[in-house]
Formats: sequence, C-alpha cells, structure tokens
Amino acid sequence: MKKIMLVCSAGMSTSLMVEKMKEAAQNRNIEVEIFAVPEAEIKNHNDVNVILLGPQVRFLLNKLKTMMEPRGIPVAVIDSIKYGTMNGDAVLEDALRLID
Amino acid sequence: MKKIDQVYEILIELEEKEKRGISAIEISKVLGTDRANISRYLNKLYKDQKVEKINGRPVLYKAIKSESIYKRTVENNNSLDKIIGAQLSLRTPIQQAKAAILYPPNGLHTLILGETGVGKSMFAELMYQFAKEAKVIPEDAPFIQFNCADYAENPQLIISQIFGVKKGAYTGADRDKEGLLKKADSGILFLDEVHRLSPQGQEMLFTYIDKGFFRPLGETEKVIYVNVRIIAATTEDPQSYLLKTFTRRIPMTIVLPSLKDKGMMERYSLIESFIKEESKRIGKSIYINKNSLISLLLYDCPNNIGQLKSDIQLACAKAFVNYKSKQEEYILITQADLPQHVKRGLMKIKQNREDIERIFEGKGDILRFYYKDDKGYEINYQYNDNEGFYDIIEKKLEDLKNTGTKDEEINHIINLAIESHFQKYIKNLSLNIKKKEISEIVNMEILQVVEEILSFASKRLKKEYDEKIYFGLALHLHGCIERLKNGNKIYHPKLNMIRVEYPDEFLVAMEIAKIIDNKFNIETPLDEIGYLAMFLASNTLDSEDEEKDKVGILVIMHGKSTASSMVEVANTLVGVQHAKALDMPLNMKPQVMYEIVKQHVREMDRGKGIILMVDMGSLTNFGDMIYEETGIIVKTIDMVSTPMVIDACRKAVLGRELDEIYTSCREMNFYNKPIERKSDLNKKNIIITACFTGEGASERLKRIIQEKLHEKNSIEIIPLNILDRREFLCKINQYKEKHKILAIVSTIDIHLDGIQFISATEVLNGEGIKKIMDIVKEEEMYLNVGKSLKEHMKYIDGGKIVDDLRYTIDDIQVKLNIQVVDEVKIGIILHLSFLIDKLCGGGKEVNFHNLEEYKDQYSRELIIIKDCLRPLERNYNIEIGENELAYICKMFLLNREDM
Repeated sequence: MKKIMLVCSAGMSTSLMVEKMKEAAQNRNIEVEIFAVPEAEIKNHNDVNVILLGPQVRFLLNKLKTMMEPRGIPVAVIDSIKYGTMNGDAVLEDALRLID
Repeated sequence: MKKIDQVYEILIELEEKEKRGISAIEISKVLGTDRANISRYLNKLYKDQKVEKINGRPVLYKAIKSESIYKRTVENNNSLDKIIGAQLSLRTPIQQAKAAILYPPNGLHTLILGETGVGKSMFAELMYQFAKEAKVIPEDAPFIQFNCADYAENPQLIISQIFGVKKGAYTGADRDKEGLLKKADSGILFLDEVHRLSPQGQEMLFTYIDKGFFRPLGETEKVIYVNVRIIAATTEDPQSYLLKTFTRRIPMTIVLPSLKDKGMMERYSLIESFIKEESKRIGKSIYINKNSLISLLLYDCPNNIGQLKSDIQLACAKAFVNYKSKQEEYILITQADLPQHVKRGLMKIKQNREDIERIFEGKGDILRFYYKDDKGYEINYQYNDNEGFYDIIEKKLEDLKNTGTKDEEINHIINLAIESHFQKYIKNLSLNIKKKEISEIVNMEILQVVEEILSFASKRLKKEYDEKIYFGLALHLHGCIERLKNGNKIYHPKLNMIRVEYPDEFLVAMEIAKIIDNKFNIETPLDEIGYLAMFLASNTLDSEDEEKDKVGILVIMHGKSTASSMVEVANTLVGVQHAKALDMPLNMKPQVMYEIVKQHVREMDRGKGIILMVDMGSLTNFGDMIYEETGIIVKTIDMVSTPMVIDACRKAVLGRELDEIYTSCREMNFYNKPIERKSDLNKKNIIITACFTGEGASERLKRIIQEKLHEKNSIEIIPLNILDRREFLCKINQYKEKHKILAIVSTIDIHLDGIQFISATEVLNGEGIKKIMDIVKEEEMYLNVGKSLKEHMKYIDGGKIVDDLRYTIDDIQVKLNIQVVDEVKIGIILHLSFLIDKLCGGGKEVNFHNLEEYKDQYSRELIIIKDCLRPLERNYNIEIGENELAYICKMFLLNREDM
C-alpha cells in the first residue's frame, strides 16, 4: 500500500488535512495510507512513497529533498491554496501524481 | 657511490640518531674527510634543495624529507589554520609557524614579535597545539610559559628560574633546583618579554639554542642536554639594538601584525568571536545595535586584540547588568554600554564607509550573536558605487564636527542621510511607457495636442514636464473634450484659489485653451482653464511635495519650556526645523490648549497626518478629538522623551509614513499598551480612482479597470476628485470605515499606508492591471481560506481569524524586519488558526524540543512575536505558551526570504 506522509511544525493543521485526504481516497476507492508527523519525527519514517510539507515548514524542503530524493521519495510543498482551503481531494491528486 | 651521496646518507643517519641538525664536523669525523670538503658538499646539497641550513655556530644541516608529516596536519583542520585571519593577515606568520614546528628533526626555535595585545601568547600556545597535532612532540609534551618581566628587577632569579640552580650558587640557594628548561624537556618553553632577560641570561639561552645544552646557575662541570623548542616573544621594536642579537641568534622570526594592520573583515570576525565567547559565558544570545558595532570596528585600539577583547567584555558585562537590573528582556549592547574611547570610533565612519557598508549590507539595525551559531554573517564583497552620496555625507560630517556636535548625535544624522539616499534611489526607478500603448485609450490627436501644449508650457514656464504629467493631462483632456462635446458643464470649485496661487500657470493655461479650442473646435470654459493651470503647476507641486508632504510632528508638554527645548534639540540634531512645539503652562485650561493645538494641526497638516508627541494627562486625548473634528489623521504618542522626538523627526523628514513613525515611536515607549485594530471583516472591497476632477481621468481609469475585472463584480470602483488633499483624505477615511480599500489608482502619486498605490501610467501599460488582479486574487484566496476554516473551526470564526492573522503576520514581518512568501503566510495562518481554536477549546500546548536553549538564542525575536500576538490573545481570551511561541518564531525565521 502506498504511504503518504505530511509534515508540519507541531501537528496543528495537517491532521485535518490528513482526514480530508483519507475521505477523498475513500471516495475514489483508493487504498492508501496517509498520516502526519511533526518535523522532529520525520526520520522515523523511511518507508513512505511521498512526503508533503505544510507551507509553513517550507524551509525543510531543500534539506529533505537532498535526503529523500536519492532514495526515490519525492518531497514537495503542498499548494498553499489547496492547503488553505483544506482541499483534500486536490492534495491527494497531487500526491498520487508525485508517486507515479 | 659518489662522495656527495655519502655525505647525504651520513647526514640522514646522524640526524635520525641525534634528533637535531648535524654540523659539517660531525660528518667529517664519520667519513674521515676534511671538514672544508664536507662543507662544500653540504653547500652543494643545499643548493640542490636536498638539505636545509640552520644558521648558527656551527652551522647545522638537515635533510629535507618528504612532505608527509607536513601534509598530515596541514590538510586536516589544525589549530593554527583555525585562527581568525589565518587566510588574511596571519597567513605568513602561520606558514612560518608551521615551518618552525615541522622543521626536521626538532623544529626551529622561534622569536615572535608584535605589539602588546596582538596575541603573541595565544600564537605560541597554538604553535604548541599544532606541534602536538602534527605529532612532532608527544601528546603529553609540556608547554611551559614564563614571563621574563615578572622578575625583571632580579636577573639572577630569572636565570635560576629558567636554567635551574645548583646548591650554593648564591646565598639562599640551599638546594639544587630544576629549571623550567629542564621541565619543558620534549615540549615547548615560551619565554614572554624575553628582552627583559639579563645579558648573562641571554647568553645562556643562546648557548642552549646553538648547542642544545645548558648549565644550571652555579654549575661548572656537567651540562644538561634537553630537547626543548624555545618560543620567545617580545614587544620590542625589531629594529632595536637589543633585538638584533635575538633575531640573529634565533633562527625563526615571526612578526604578528597589529590590529590596525588587519582588515575590517578580520576585525569584524574578531569582534564576532569575542561577543560569541561572552554569549557562551552567559548562555544566551547577545544583541548589539549597529552603531555600537561600528564603533567597535573603528575605534583606535592601541593595545590591539587584547584591548578589543577586554573592551567587548566590558560592554557585554554592562549590557548584561542592564538586562538583569532593569529587567530588560534581552541582552542588548548599545552605545551607552561602550567605554568612551570606543564610542569615538563612530567618528571615523567617513574614512571607512565602504567597508562598513559592505559589512552591514542586508543586516538589520540590531545584530544577534549566539555562541552556537558557528557561521557568522556572510559578507558581501561587492562595492557600491555611491560616490556622490558619500561626498554629501562627508561634508555633513565635517560640518557637524565643526559645530562641536557629539559623536552619538552625528551618528543619528548620518543615518538620516543614508536613509534618504536610498529613498531617492528607489524613487529614481523610471517608468517606461510607449506612446503607442496610451494611444489605444486616448486618440492620437489629443496626444499630439498634449505634446504641443507641454512643450509650449515648458518654454513659457521654464520647467520640465515628466511622463506622469503627460499621460495625466492626456487622460484629463480626453475626458474634458468628451464632456464638453456632450454639453456637460465643467466646474472648478477652487478656481479663484488657483488664479491667485499660480498666476503664471493660469496665464499659460489660457493660451493653451486657445490651442485646444482651435484644434477641437470647442470653447474651453474658465473652470477648465483652472484645471489646466493645476496640471501645469503640478510639477512644482511635486517638488514642493518633497518639502511639504511630510508627516507633521507636534510636541506638546506641560510646563513653560519643556516642549520647546525638546524640539530645539531634535530640530538641531536632525538639521531641519521640522518639529513644532507647544508649551502648556500649568494654569492653562485644557479647552484653551485644545483650540490652540487644533489650529496648529490644521496649519501643519500636509495631507500626511500629524504625530502629537505629548507627556500626559488631557493632552493624550487631543489627537482623537482633533481627528473627529477635522478629519486630519492625528496619532498620539504619550510619555515622550527627547530621543523619541529625534527619531520621529528624523523619520518624518525622510518622508516616512505616519504609521511607520508612530509604530517605531511606540516601540521606543516602554509603557505603551497596544491599540485595538478595527477588523476589516465584512467590509466591502473597493478600489479608488482619483484625479483632479473626479470625472475625467478617474472615470476613465474606472472604466478600464472595470472592463478587466468584469467578472469580479464584488469590487466597487469609486472615482474621487483630489482637488483638496485634505478633503480627499477625509473621504478615504470615511470609506475605510465600511470598506477595505484595495488600491488607489491615480494620475497623481498618493501614498497612504496600508493602501497600495498604482499610477495611471501603470494601468495604461498593463502593469497596473496585473497588480490589481493580483490584489484581487489574493483577497479572494484569503476569503476562501476563511470560508473553509469556518467549517473546521470549533470555537472561533474562520473568517475573522484569517483577517486577524493577516494583520498579525504583517505586523510580525515589519517588526522582525523579515519577509515570508505568501505561500508560507497561508501555512502560518492555518497553523495559528488551528492553534487558537485548540487553545480556545482548552487544548494543551505541544512541547518544543530544546525550548530553553531556543529561548536563550532568540530572546529578542520571541519577545517581539509575543508582543504582536498579544491582541490575539486578548481577543480570543487565550494564552499562547512558550512552546507554541517557539514554533511560531521558527516558522518565521526559517522561512524568511532574503530581502
């Protein structure tokens, strides 16, 4: 099963995003694991398929990219409008596209 | 085997055995050859760079070995290369030091020369570290320091200290005593102030240096052999007679540069490292304002690095005491904390401005140093071409000095000059628009007439008209002709005022009217001529604007002369009579005073508003009352001090906006409570277009914008006339009550804070439309975010929180002097919304890793953010804890964009 990991600074806003994305996945009948971690716990998860960053932790992008991309894990910042409007479906779509 | 190769081999063998340089005699003994022949071979080897020579008696030779030892340490990070300036002023000394240490087999004895405080002891110690790192001395090798000045009045004692003493050598020498030279065996003996050694002592030292052995005091028979590297140091002038002997007898001489011979960058690095050392001691970040740092960079420091260090320690200590005793919130070094001789450094800014500019480029007014931040600030090496500007400053400095102004005050003024320079620079960005583009809106005929009119007026009035006037007039004329052709009247309420105030322009305008009449077959009414005159005068208006359009500063204090003397000081220092004073004698009734103040505000206002700087009591309420009554924007600062007046005055003269001045004053004012902000929520978005008439160009602009925005009907566009700035501002304020003004579009520059200005020219060339679209899009986006949040927030209103947070985030950006991109802004808004919602629901805060350390490191930043969040805390009745604060701080600091 594909794993999507979201990262934010203190787990404040991403948990809702995760819910929204799960909902969207269910509606689309896609089996996928989606979860959120705060910045400090990223390194405990090496087996994910894609990492999405909340716009507020954009500063992690370069660091994570150099760390994860050699392992074939794409890293991206969630589109701020989609994030701001909690558009789970659109973010899921972006995530799936990154995995492919 | 050739003889020469034999000599070489024997040399290596002996060298290995003796662990020191080998003389020709020693080799001649082994080979049974004449010494002179051996010497010849050795010289040949020396020329072939196979051996090295150590001058002395006798001359010693060493084989040059492979560079392996050398490389081993040099390539790794070694102690010597880590010294500040290793690549700069200390480059040669370090190369010499390495050579002295690595020189096979036992290194070279070294003499270090340099002024007091250049770091001779430290350098010697680092050489010792390096020797250990290079493994040329064992890890546990001793490093013994001895200052020959300590016993200078007793030469015998020094000798006995260094070389030891045999029992009975002199009265009181009741037993054998080992000297430091013996104790330092296999290590390094550092002899500071070596010139204080008596001639006898010197001779004993040289004997050891030449021969490798010495005799303790009183010893006549046996000699002691040790393997000690001597590092001697002295402040004596290398040219002095005394030193000649030393430099001749000690093989390696290293001269350390004094502080004034080091570059500014190196000095900056030193200062940085010393402040960081103090930061380590205290365990917190140390902040320093720019001027203090400049002083440290520039002051005369005769006792070099040592003095620099102790002066910095003193400043840090003072700042720390302030922090503790006055309960300041973070440690900040200001001019007041610097010793007098350091403060004087600021006076030298003119000779060093380029370096200073380079060092401070892109840094704020307050710099932060923390011991764990290994990398300091990156320094940009680009030079700025600012010649003319500097000449101005230089002159100003000179003038100030001649009038006996104090350093600190001069500095204020210099800052002023620098700031205004950059303001000018920004203004110089020119607009480029082609005639073709505007001709799509205004027909060619009109453009030609406008050109004709302006060149005519230009000659008659002897002044230049810029593009802005050109396009403004074109738009205006276009509207005017349309109006007249439709039979509409033109009305100018200020016609008489124009006639009186701009008689020349009015005359020219009348002639111009004739041109227009002929061309378009119309009859230009007198009122329209009034408008034309305004256009013609408007360049003067603009240049006068530079003088006029500044925020007024009115200082009002209780007492007979408090306000006057404060203002006198401020105006003198700023160099412009800008601030006005009103003294309020204690027996004066507030009502009477109020009328006087109101009158002054009226007279002073140039459309930019007034800052009232008052002490206390009823005076604090005047501002709001005057605003209500006159519509002039008045902001009040209470508990005012002279520095605040100077600061406000300075900023006003620079043409800063009311809000900015107000905010910075309030920051200086410790006791102030934050003011409430009126929410923009539920306000209708509008765009204002403005021109002189409110009918010509502004209507035209409205139509252009409307066409582009057709689908965004929610935005109303309101054309206004701007005949009278005050009336105009009054109207703007009225609109502000129920509307959010997204932008002002106008033929004339109107810069109000918080409202984006877009010039008519920009609209015509498309740039402006793009700007408007961006603003509209941004508004819409936030609206949507708010809507979405409404669904998800349990305890708070999603729309309101977005509005509040936008304001808060902008506030934080301004106060921290950083910028984050919109994308990040949304992320932060989301984070904070959820945080506030959680806290409203009684949620707990999330722990921040290493909070205490983070607090020490970013004390100032955290306090600033805390302050900015206070209105939120009050409005939502929550408390944002330290952990959460740290998360927020991190989001801002790490996402900052370089400006």
